[in-house]
Formats: sequence, structure tokens, C-alpha cells
Amino acid sequence: MKTYLGIDVGSISTKFVLIDERNQILFSLYRRTEGNPIKAVQEGLREVKNHIKNHSINVDIGGVGTTGSARHLAGVITGADLIKNEITTHAKGTCFFIPNVKTIIEIGGQDSKIIILENKVAVDFAMNLICAAGTGSFLDAQAFRLKIPIEKFGELALSSKNPTNIGSRCTVFCESDMIHKQQMGHKIEDIVAGLCQGLARNFLASVAKGKNIQKPIVFLGGVSENVGMRKAFEDALEQKIIVPKYNTILGAFGAAVLIKENPPQKTKFLGFGISDKDIKCTSFHCKGCPNQCEVIEARIDGKVVARWGDRCGKWSGLNIIDSNEI
Amino acid sequence: MEKPIVTFAGWGNYTIAFKSLLEGVGLEVIPPAKTNSKTIAEGAKMAPEMFCFPMKVTIGNYMPALRKGANTIFMTENVGGSCRQRYYGAIQEKVLKDNGWEINFVNLKVSPRQLYSKIKEISKASFWQMLRAIRFFFKKLILIERIEKMAQYYRPREVEKGTTDKLLFWFFLKLEELNKEKYFSGLKKEVLKRFSRIKIDKNKVLPKVALIGEIYTVTDSTINFEVEKKLGNEGMEVHREMELSYHLKKVIFPWKDWLIQRKINPYLKSTVGGHGRDAVYEMLHYVKKDFNGVVHLLPFGCMPEVTVRPILEKIHQESGIPFLSLSLDEQVAEAGINTRIEAFVDVVINHFKNKKT
Repeated sequence: MKTYLGIDVGSISTKFVLIDERNQILFSLYRRTEGNPIKAVQEGLREVKNHIKNHSINVDIGGVGTTGSARHLAGVITGADLIKNEITTHAKGTCFFIPNVKTIIEIGGQDSKIIILENKVAVDFAMNLICAAGTGSFLDAQAFRLKIPIEKFGELALSSKNPTNIGSRCTVFCESDMIHKQQMGHKIEDIVAGLCQGLARNFLASVAKGKNIQKPIVFLGGVSENVGMRKAFEDALEQKIIVPKYNTILGAFGAAVLIKENPPQKTKFLGFGISDKDIKCTSFHCKGCPNQCEVIEARIDGKVVARWGDRCGKWSGLNIIDSNEI
Repeated sequence: MEKPIVTFAGWGNYTIAFKSLLEGVGLEVIPPAKTNSKTIAEGAKMAPEMFCFPMKVTIGNYMPALRKGANTIFMTENVGGSCRQRYYGAIQEKVLKDNGWEINFVNLKVSPRQLYSKIKEISKASFWQMLRAIRFFFKKLILIERIEKMAQYYRPREVEKGTTDKLLFWFFLKLEELNKEKYFSGLKKEVLKRFSRIKIDKNKVLPKVALIGEIYTVTDSTINFEVEKKLGNEGMEVHREMELSYHLKKVIFPWKDWLIQRKINPYLKSTVGGHGRDAVYEMLHYVKKDFNGVVHLLPFGCMPEVTVRPILEKIHQESGIPFLSLSLDEQVAEAGINTRIEAFVDVVINHFKNKKT
């Protein structure tokens, strides 16, 4: 059976999706990146392989697409046929499940973005530029500080009857405001609910500012698992928010669908064997010209497989001397 | 007074033209360092945190030249009308003083007469020498802008990827070395010949994208992360009107502002400083010309551009033209910019395909 693999390596989590020719999801995996994208990709691939083996499906990988903030790195180490930005892949993935979608709100580990679609294609988008307020990692940090498991965070927020108002323009001030509210004696669920509302408000006021938000609105990404945030967005937008099945892996799914629609003659996929290989990345400053680009070099088992980061293309072309010799 | 050894504010490829202007009047020149991550970091460390990005960049560019022995800095102020650029000179002089550099800081207000008399006073050049230097400066400037424009056309169409950029690299290197006016026409012929030899696909119909925004970030490819090149390599024909000669024309023929104001009246009724009005005017112009996208570049916290950004957003909503606003400073990571540009390219291509059918 011909299948396609989509890999989404984000700052906090790494997602794998294996689909068949009819876009059916055969296998999906959501795991934490834990600050090591290379290892996350290697171990994820191992799990994909194990799944294939355990279910004894006859799988032939027809193509691999990578996305997410570490898409280039993941693309290099897996030998991807397509490296696509997360905005296009999310739009693509969502359109398969909800064809008439008009607005996608996606909040991940460090990014939050809004995508406006018309007739199944993205026509406008925005991403948070300098502020990570309201993204997954901030919620994570707050859950940890309050000693609430992140999975319970949303339910706790829903149980609040009287959410308190928390300033949320900036995570730092937001946190001090939360501490202040705690010290004033507010109930913890009121603070958590207030936090969710504040973050939704902040997202709509900064990232989604000036965008034409039409329904149906779809909410994706790790933060969409949080029922408190769902409710906060529904309250703020005064509309229903759809959280589809597979809400956290739609980026990887979209990458797989994109490569399926434009399959390569022969995939460049390096095989599941790379899970056991030694992959290392190093970087150096090129001294060739005043640009002084930082060049990154990936090696598999000591052999250079790719270099990137240079502006002139001197290093990206592979057939050159070993950087150890400089 | 000791003999002046001059450095000046760097500005993308125009640095080459400025250098030959100052050399032409007989000054000893140490050109400012080319912008890179190190100079930006140094400038940002010295400059006040909340000041605009171009000032941090230019301070960073002075430093290597100062260490090499430059003792005079030429800085042009008031380039963009009323914005913080007016204080660049004063602030830079103070910042350098605070860091222990006693520099003869020459503040030039951009009025042609003042420029002329100040340079003459310092260089003690004769009238004819001045005239020759200015003529050479304009020759270089016009060629730089012409070649940049040609590159915008050739880059998306070239058959072998990267040839245009290699040629550009060669040309700017040669132009910088060139210090005698008599060799100029030879180089000009040579570069035009080489351009004509690049194999291109002439019949390609390409999506068109315009760059608008703050003049320094739009024209300096190092600080805008080579947006122009990236878009070009993705198969977009890039246009931009904002360049030094555009600005100089406006200084010489001030009624251009009045014409612009008349065109943007429904959106903005007065000046907002800098090139704020121009950005609105350009965006409207490109919408009219059926472009497939507009990229708005500004340094973080640039008052005029931040002021007009909501207006540009509104034009984008009304007309449906894809729009991307990138605010740049030393904190911005290239990865984030790349993601946005890649996604923007997809949006532009969608827009282009829709228009065609």
C-alpha cells in the first residue's frame, strides 16, 4: 500500500501522521520535542516503524513532507520530499475535514497564528511576532507554578463561576498579576479562568487584529485541547468554535496530504534506519565575506549530508571541503 | 586641527556611491563596515534600547571604521521629514561620546546648499572638484539602482538559479573598487553585457509583489533578511519604488508630496512624518496595477510606518490583495521571517492563480 508521511516538528511537540491514498489516517503520534528535535524525529520514526511492524501492514512510503519550526532540520535528516511552512499545511489539513472553513486559530507551543481562508485556500494570515503570551509554553509554565496538571487546567477554568480579570498584554506582567490576585485571596479556578479569558482577548487584540474573522472558526494546536481556552474564545468571539478531531496533528496531516497530491517520482526518504544512526548538527561562522553567515552543518554517521544558513550558496552546495579543515 | 579621516553612515549598496563622493572631493575615507550580525549587536548594545533600528545599525557600522582610525563622521539628518531620524545625529554623537569616542561629528541637513557648503568647508575642494565628485556620485547611484531593478526582473526568470545574484555580487565588488570616473563606462557596459547573457525565460507570466515601507529597511538587503532575493527566488517579480533617488527627487521637487497627498486623501488627510504618506500612496498604486501582493517593511517602532499600518491593513481588506507587514530589529529571528515569507508566497500564488482564471 502506498502511504505518505507527514512530520510536524514544533517547539514543544512533534507530530507524525501516516496516511494512505484516500487521506485516511493510518497512524498518528503526538509526542514532546523535549528540546531535542533530532531525537524526537528519530524516536517518532521508530514508533511509526513499530506500528507498521506490529500491524503487519505492507507499507510503501511514497513521500515525506515536513513542517513546523524545525521543518528544515527534520527535512534534512529524514530526506523529505517537501518542506512546507506550517500555515499552508494547517490550511490544507483543516480543509479536508471542514471544507468550508473560513478562519483557523492555531495556538501551539510558542507560536500563535490566525489563517483566513476562502475557497479552501489561505488568503491572509498573521503570526505573533514578538510576544509569546497565550501560547502553550506559557500555559505550561503557569500550570506548573500552580501545581495543576496541564490536562486539568481547562476543566478547572470551566468550573469557575466568577472569573477574575487578569491583564494579559505581556506574559511577565500577566504572571505578576496572577500572583497578585492569588495574594488578594481569589479562588484558584477564578484566576485560571481569568487567565484563559485574558489570553483569548490578547490573541484577538494582537495577532488577529484587523483580520476578517468569519465562521466557521476552527481552533487547532496544543492549546485547543484546553477546554478553558475553547470557552474563552467562544465568549470573546460570541460564536461557536469548532475543534475538529485530530486538532493537534493537522499540520503534519496537511504536509502528508500536500506531498500526496504532488507525489515525487521516487521519494528521497532515507528510510526508518535513520532512527539508529548518529545525527549531529554543528554550526560555524563563515569568514568568507563581511556577511559572516552562521552556517549549520548536519552529519549522519559523521558524513555531511547538508549545510544551510549561508546567503551566497557557497556552503549549501555540498561538494566542498569538510568544514573541519577551515 | 588634525587631518580629517572620514567615515559615514552606511546604507546598503548606496554606501559605494557615498564613498566615491567623499573620496572625489579629496577626503581620506574609511568606509563603514558592512552590516552583519556582529555590527548590529555592537550598535544595539551602545544605542538606547527604544531607538529605531537603522540608528543602531549605523552606529554598529561606524565602530570598525573608528577603530581603524577614522576621526570624522558624516551623518545626514532629516532624510525622511519629521520623524526620529532628525535626532539620529545628535543621539549618535552623544552615544559615541559616552563610550569614549571624541569624534568630529558632522551633521548634514539634507538641503542641497547646506550639503554642498559643509562638504566644501571640510574638504577644501575646489568648485570643479566638487562638481565632478557629485556627478560621479550620481552616475554610480543611478547605475546601482538600475542594476538592482534589472536583478528584480532577471532573478525569477533566470534558467540557472543563482546566476543573477552571482553577477550582482561581482558588480558591487567591482563598483566599489572603481575610483576613476574614466573607467566607469567600461564597467557599465560590461555589467549590462553580462546581464544580457543571462539565460531567461521571457514568456513567463509571474506574480508581482511590491515592497513598500521605510526607506532604509526596504533598500538595505542585509537588514531586511534579503526579502527581495527570497521572493525573487520563489518566482515573484519584485517591484519597489522606494529608493534613494526617489527621495532625492522629492527633496528637489517638493510638490511631489502634494500630488501624493491628493491621491491618498480618502485614507489619510495629513502627513504623519517619514515616508508614511508614500507607503499609502504606493499601496494604492500597486492595487490599481493589479499586483499580487504587498510586503510592508519597517523597523520596529518606526512611528510613521506604525501609524499608517492600520490604513494599509484596511486597503488590504478592501481590495483583497495579499499583505504582509514585517517589523524588523535586532531581536527578530530570521527563521520567523522566513516562515512568514514562505506562507506569504503561497498566499500570493493562490491570489495569482485566482486572478488568472
